[in-house]
Amino acid sequence: MNTYIRKNLAFLITLSVIVALFFVAAQGMDDQDFVITLLRGLSVGSLTFLVASGFSLIFGLLDVLNLAHGTLFMIGAYIGWTVYVRPDTFVDLLTPFALTLSGFALRDVYPLLATRIRLGLSMKRLVPRALILVSLLIFGFILPRYPIAIWNVENYGESPVTYAFMASQGTRLPAPVVAFTEISAPLALIGLLLASLIGTFGLSLFGNETQYKTNVSGKTFLGFVILLVIALGSFIFNDAITVMLLGLNSNWLFLISVVVAVLSGAGLGALMEATLIRPLYSRPIYQLMLTLGLSAVGIEMVRAIWGRPEFVMPKPDFFSGTGGVCPATNFADWWANNCSIILLWDGRVRVYNEIFIPLIGVIVLISIWILLQRTRLGMIIRAGVQDREMVEALGINVRRVFTMVFSLGVGLAALGGALAAPSMGLSNAMGESLFLNALIALAIGGLTNYPGAALGSVLVGLIQQFIIKYGQIGIPIPFTDILFKPTPPLVPASTVLLMVIILLILPNGLLGKKE
Amino acid sequence: MDYILDVQNIHTFIGQYHILQGVDVRVPKGSITALLGRNGAGKTTTLKSIIGLTTPREGKVIFDGNEVQGRRPFEIASMGIGFVPEHRAIFRDLTVEENLKLAERTKGDYLRKKEFIFNLFPDLQRLITLSGTSLSGGQQQMLAIARALVADNRLLLIDEPSEGLAPVIIEHMMSAIRQLSSESTIVLVEQNFLVASQLAEYYVIIEEGHSVQAGKMKDLVNDKAAIHRYLGAA
Repeated sequence: MNTYIRKNLAFLITLSVIVALFFVAAQGMDDQDFVITLLRGLSVGSLTFLVASGFSLIFGLLDVLNLAHGTLFMIGAYIGWTVYVRPDTFVDLLTPFALTLSGFALRDVYPLLATRIRLGLSMKRLVPRALILVSLLIFGFILPRYPIAIWNVENYGESPVTYAFMASQGTRLPAPVVAFTEISAPLALIGLLLASLIGTFGLSLFGNETQYKTNVSGKTFLGFVILLVIALGSFIFNDAITVMLLGLNSNWLFLISVVVAVLSGAGLGALMEATLIRPLYSRPIYQLMLTLGLSAVGIEMVRAIWGRPEFVMPKPDFFSGTGGVCPATNFADWWANNCSIILLWDGRVRVYNEIFIPLIGVIVLISIWILLQRTRLGMIIRAGVQDREMVEALGINVRRVFTMVFSLGVGLAALGGALAAPSMGLSNAMGESLFLNALIALAIGGLTNYPGAALGSVLVGLIQQFIIKYGQIGIPIPFTDILFKPTPPLVPASTVLLMVIILLILPNGLLGKKE
Repeated sequence: MDYILDVQNIHTFIGQYHILQGVDVRVPKGSITALLGRNGAGKTTTLKSIIGLTTPREGKVIFDGNEVQGRRPFEIASMGIGFVPEHRAIFRDLTVEENLKLAERTKGDYLRKKEFIFNLFPDLQRLITLSGTSLSGGQQQMLAIARALVADNRLLLIDEPSEGLAPVIIEHMMSAIRQLSSESTIVLVEQNFLVASQLAEYYVIIEEGHSVQAGKMKDLVNDKAAIHRYLGAA
């Protein structure tokens, strides 16, 4: 015990100073303000943690600084919103998406085909490019003609803003009806499938100086078959599924939208890793530029699809009850009436923002911790963070674990986004500010340390919310009668200041280990 | 003779450096073969080229009748090769037991091999809950070898098992390796010629990326000229 204290003296002192500051901060405000500020801090901290933990898992194992992580958080929010407010669009999109992805499910089959085909040197350079071009042309021909019931960013009456507003008022705008008119349905389906196969085959021919041999079994085709079933199922039962989703109670729909956002995030992550990041493992700078570029591309795509204006996602019924005994004064009342607000120590606490989100944060924290400490995958991740080559030399397919971790990390970011949509609202900038928070949180907590990510995120969330609160009520400076009110620019500045101070004392962050 | 491993004229590059410029290694089944040579001659790179951590650009690596060059390390290892790298590469954030469990290729490998491993290295048994950080050099080396024994490996590639260890522990390590050779074939990289000559039946000398001489260890021991020329030892 003694040696522990001696070894971690700097950490313990820093932590106790922070805790002390925290209690000093509490002296200046009422109980209710303190409770609310604390819960808000935890809420921001939880969202930050969802971004930070994914980022740090990816960085720890893959050494990839995924600068697009904030953008992926935002995309998660927009996907969640789309499923929640416009289930018809979501169902229409399922078929083309599943078909486009289906080619990737066959990635293990391609090397086998590739070895059968003998090509000259110049053809070897030409063929993959030609295949990808052909695939893109087919996609470019079919996708704009594929009927998808979508909103119209240009026209205010049909824009996401209006759909969002009407949904928050409890009435849904009628969904537009679309049908295959510009292209025949079988042609569209078969064309997309072919384009996907051609394109992914072309991709698989790239950049393999030494053709790795793979083994093909029935399992290889499983993913492909599942995707085909999804594509055909959602094509044939399109209307039925839409009606069913629209008829669901909003809690279930919210749950589905969060799950879809997480799955799409995870899929997007796997796709990113397998196609764009993987060829660049030996060139870290290119990778950095790639993820930075992807982040810009992502933001522009969101602007093109959902438009620039901010809008809100209505909260599900479970968190939006009013009237009756609301705001609830105890949890029994809250449970019976699903009040949106609960009174704690006389403070008006928004249940979704300030209780539900931190709760999810804690659940994710614990489940990922269990995953890391108690499962074989977690063992591989912890070992791989230190020495990837040795893990591979033990007979473990590290590349597959890379894809899984990348997809897990992006899935966590998307979960954060989907959860943030009803509390923060949706905007093109929501990802960037939170990503910055997450980076600061990681620097504070220790870059690749998982509990550090949680600790850093909570600290960042708390300090921001306390500074915001003190901006309203003012800090009495001791021994003077000056009331200091931090201005809004001090809110982000305060987190950077905290980071600078902590890094000066502990260069590896609070829980980081020396390299 | 029956060779379990047959490395034929491999050329390996690390970055732009042509490290291996034609290395042949033939390993008879059930033997201990030592790769000898000065520092930087390419012994470690040869081991890494066999397991696939560096991919040979030319030449063949035939393990148990299958060409394995160009395959990914995890596939080659899964065919039955255990790798004990230089500097041990123990996973610091894992306990001793987790280090061993990680090496499982099929579920239950660890439970099945536990007794055998702890018979060989009784010290490890009482360290089982400690993390990799808290082990001494000798204990790390034992763990590194034990890790290669968890799965059913027919070939063990062991890099510098005596490096940085006290003489008493080297003795212990040598007897362990001798015991292992009854179960599987071993390829050993060893700087310490005394250790190598006592353990190995066969040898291959690697000099500046070429394999220059190979044969039976008992012939080399009497060949003072070759020892002096290639190994710099008396």
